[in-house]
Amino acid sequence: MSERRSRHEVSARGAHVAMSARAGVAPPGVAPLRGGLAMSAGAAARVARGRKAQPNGWWGMALFLCAETTLFGGLIATYFYLDFGASRWPPSGTGRPSVIAPAILTAILLATSVPMALAARCAAAGARLACAASIALAMALQCGYISYQLHLFVDEVHRFPPQDSAYSSIYFTLLGLHHAHVILGILLDIGVVGWLLLSGLSNYRVTGVRAVALYWHVVNAIAVAVLFTQISPSL
Amino acid sequence: MATVVTPRAHEHAERLERVWKARPGLLGWLTTTDHKRIGLLYFFTSLTFFGAGGVEALLLRTQLLGPNQRLLTPEAYDQIFTMHGITMIFLFVIPMTTGAFGNYLIPLMIGARDMAFPRLNAISYWIYLGSGLFLYAGLAGGHGPNAGWFDYVPLASKAYNPAINIDFYGYGLIFNGVSSTAGAINIIVTILKLRAPGMSLNRMPLFCFAFLAVAFSLLFALPSLSLATLFLELDRQLGFHFYDTTHGGSPLLWQNLFWIFGHPEVYIIILPAFGIATSIIPTFVHRRMVMFPLVALAELLVAFLGFGVWVHHMFAVGLATVTTVYFAAVSLIIVIPSAIQLFAWITTILAGTPDYKTPLLWIVGFIVFFLIGGLSGITVAAIPFDQQVNASYYIVAHFHFVIFGAAVFPILGGMYYWFPKVTGRMYHEAAGKLSFWLVFLGTWVTFFPMHIVGLEGMPRRIFTYPSYVGWTALNMLESVGSYLLGAGLLLVVVNLAVSLRRGAPASENPWNGETLEWATSSPPPPYNYAVIPTVSSAYPMWDREDREHDVARLERGEGVLARGHETPASTVQDAELDEVLAMPPHSLLPLLLGIVLALMFIMLLVHHYLIALGIVGVGALGLAAWHGKEPRGE
Repeated sequence: MSERRSRHEVSARGAHVAMSARAGVAPPGVAPLRGGLAMSAGAAARVARGRKAQPNGWWGMALFLCAETTLFGGLIATYFYLDFGASRWPPSGTGRPSVIAPAILTAILLATSVPMALAARCAAAGARLACAASIALAMALQCGYISYQLHLFVDEVHRFPPQDSAYSSIYFTLLGLHHAHVILGILLDIGVVGWLLLSGLSNYRVTGVRAVALYWHVVNAIAVAVLFTQISPSL
Repeated sequence: MATVVTPRAHEHAERLERVWKARPGLLGWLTTTDHKRIGLLYFFTSLTFFGAGGVEALLLRTQLLGPNQRLLTPEAYDQIFTMHGITMIFLFVIPMTTGAFGNYLIPLMIGARDMAFPRLNAISYWIYLGSGLFLYAGLAGGHGPNAGWFDYVPLASKAYNPAINIDFYGYGLIFNGVSSTAGAINIIVTILKLRAPGMSLNRMPLFCFAFLAVAFSLLFALPSLSLATLFLELDRQLGFHFYDTTHGGSPLLWQNLFWIFGHPEVYIIILPAFGIATSIIPTFVHRRMVMFPLVALAELLVAFLGFGVWVHHMFAVGLATVTTVYFAAVSLIIVIPSAIQLFAWITTILAGTPDYKTPLLWIVGFIVFFLIGGLSGITVAAIPFDQQVNASYYIVAHFHFVIFGAAVFPILGGMYYWFPKVTGRMYHEAAGKLSFWLVFLGTWVTFFPMHIVGLEGMPRRIFTYPSYVGWTALNMLESVGSYLLGAGLLLVVVNLAVSLRRGAPASENPWNGETLEWATSSPPPPYNYAVIPTVSSAYPMWDREDREHDVARLERGEGVLARGHETPASTVQDAELDEVLAMPPHSLLPLLLGIVLALMFIMLLVHHYLIALGIVGVGALGLAAWHGKEPRGE
């Protein structure tokens, strides 16, 4: 009896619903997009143009970045949790953090989002060399950024090591984890540029470039939050 | 489809068989990316850990059988109750639900041929196995974690716990978290992108809504645990001061970070049970779930609200009243989405024609325990009462009713329910019912008296108690109950193991089940479906026209997609066909990278930081190789 009821409900909801669903896989006369066969720049660009939703690789990166953003949310929350519980922050003997150098560095890192966004567009359009050049430009700035940041980091570790106080512990952990994300990003850059130069564009790699660009946008946005946390005692 | 009758349809199915053929033997299992095989690996591994956790529970209960017993030393008792908690939560329930049930069933239910990232799926499993062995290596060497599963500082700090025990916990849980995060991402993308064309979000099974909620909870909860344990290891290994009050740190920081993870974790454990219940109930009561959209929203809402209640684990800490009252109020609000689901299950059962076969019995047991555990949960949301019973056996009773009675019962019911699908055999019905009644009775006798001894003042985690305090009789009853419970669980395993060989052959849909996994043969072929199924409601197996339409399409070769490991990808909301994906067939890299990660954590454990860094470099090369080989069509 119940079975008859359920069948009845389906037909009551109107035939056009079922019809549109049935048109689903491979409607007659239209070949579906096949990313797995798009092994050239042109074919990859056609797939990228024809797609209605973001590709799975982009979604995977977006969700991974949700987890990483939460991680930094926890770090920044820890910073202020310890800050609000302290009588002096930073503790006496530890100077206030400098503002100018980290602010300029963060602005430079933020600017690298422009060539990365350009690289994602070039990849989707099938422009292999322009894509590689944009990533290389961004990478040059990113490498400059991280070298100077690591220089500052080592210098500060010598002045107030993380074993000094809870302030220096969270300070270096927060900055250190962000630097680690920048280094990971540079490794990803090297990976995709290597791909592009050695064996060209394909659908898989267009998605790869887009995912790496997304990674940088989020890491750069987090850099701003990290910067304001870092310099908060001097503001 | 199992109804491959005509020569032309047979030809299409044969081509798929050829394309999707698994590698033979052990190598096939080590390099597999098939979600069903990975699901089975998860199943047997987590079942083994369930056995280990169960043996630990029986040891604890035997130690507490009478007063002043000396079966276990206090040190051994500490390690065993800690490992019992860690095992049941991180090595049994999460991998059993998301890893085994989720992996095996989600692609089948949404009409896909694999998970969105098959190699990531494989590496999630290998990392999980590695982290489990890592945690147990500590216990095997006599240095298991020993500060409880929530591992409070300062007890877990270097000053009070200088040996390596806690480091197994710290590194082991970060290690395990990598696996769960990867698994969560995979489940979300699979559910959002790989649904068969036509399965818009409002036609997606409630099981998938529950797993979507679980995966999002895992994704946002785990970073907090990873941070807490990272800070702990930095304190312990390098002398940082996150939790050290003498240098401006705070032990409450640990409690906050841990419970920001730990409370969502409770819903991570219970939500899959909700999903399994919403699969089993419609099948055995022969009607649709009532209030489908409300139940779906309630599943998501429970997961969301779960992030706003963590302080109710900290009512006895001495926080400001306004803080505790806020968290008590939010904790009470969770009653609303929970009750929506509870009433929906009960109403569906009452409004249908229930056939109390074994799987439905487990769900009824689940409803009973969820109700009672929920009610005792309301009592501990009352702040003054909670401050009285905090750290007593009352709490142990509450969370075992919820976590064992409510979360594990549907897992056991699900094992019976999907056994015919996975093995192609039927289980033994009478033995199944007997196992249910044994476990049901055992759960009552084991955990109910804990409420009473808790109110009488028995603290949790004591390794023994004197005879004059009057806890002896009830403790003895609890221990007897735990043996009954153990016998019942053993009967579940024996029933399924014997039925694997001797059970009657199962048809493709022995229960007249409602979701798509019942459309394919039992067990399913490596490609799941010969033709991507047509979907026009949330109960596709009850839409007979659609299933007949599939047979006709297979005959025409429409929607067969056999140019490589192909499966369709759809738009997120409306599930319009977007593209046809080529999935990677098999790979040894997930196993190798899993081993590399395990080596890195071992090096961290023994303080060889430079070697650990070198191993990370090897891992990076492995990842380059991973992406160097693209999945492609033919």
